[in-house]
Amino acid sequence: MANIKKSARPETAIPTASMSDIAFLLLLFFMVSTVFVREKGIPVKMPKAASIEKIPRNHSATIYVNRGGMISIDDFKVSIPDVKYVMQKKLAEDFNVLTCFRTDKDTSYGIMSDILNQLREAQTLRVYFEAKLKR
Amino acid sequence: MLRRKRKDLGGIPTASMSDVAFLLLVFFLSTTKFDIKKGLGIVLPAASDGTQKKVRLKDDNLTKIWIDKDGKITMKSGGEERSVPINELQKTIHNIVTQNPDMVISLKTDRKSKYQYMVQALDKLQAAGAEKISLSTN
Repeated sequence: MANIKKSARPETAIPTASMSDIAFLLLLFFMVSTVFVREKGIPVKMPKAASIEKIPRNHSATIYVNRGGMISIDDFKVSIPDVKYVMQKKLAEDFNVLTCFRTDKDTSYGIMSDILNQLREAQTLRVYFEAKLKR
Repeated sequence: MLRRKRKDLGGIPTASMSDVAFLLLVFFLSTTKFDIKKGLGIVLPAASDGTQKKVRLKDDNLTKIWIDKDGKITMKSGGEERSVPINELQKTIHNIVTQNPDMVISLKTDRKSKYQYMVQALDKLQAAGAEKISLSTN
């Protein structure tokens, strides 16, 4: 009588021993790359633009301007004539400071022009108008 | 006969280690916000303190763009004034700038105009390769 042997089935288990290694690796990545937002700002709807470039984050000071013309720097409400002094202080802290505008798209340009004049007087001349990428 | 007591082996249970790791992972995954800022850059001229000399530009080297309060764009270049729709602005400026690389583009926006009209126009100017851009208002 022929002896038919059953062929051994290959094992089909996923090795789970290294699962925690993978998890820790991902965890470390997210821990290192996480930036907890320091300032809240004020809600604005930014305009859209196509030819935008990346703004270096470590030197940027953000000025929020909403459609009502309220100006906020570092979560403090600032009036137009005071922008100069706030920005002069920022320039003293960081010589390479650059100003980043988060302005609502429906803000009237007159306010922006006044702020830009304040920046010129404060000698903070590098300016970025933040925008969303137009698709 | 004395029986030997079995020694209890001390150890940290590692079976739940991956659970802990995944829990932390999910927390950081959900709280991470990649704050990448993008925008249009420009360098402002320094405020005049009376010591700078005023430079008079020739009319051939100056293109004036005027945005009114409704976002309508009027362009004046070489004595010729005409209205330009926003989608043709880039092409028009590109032609001007390639012909004359010294051309200064003056972007004048009405005080009552919306900020987005200025950004749209500035976007087109930068896309067209204009390097000398001046922002002003009335």
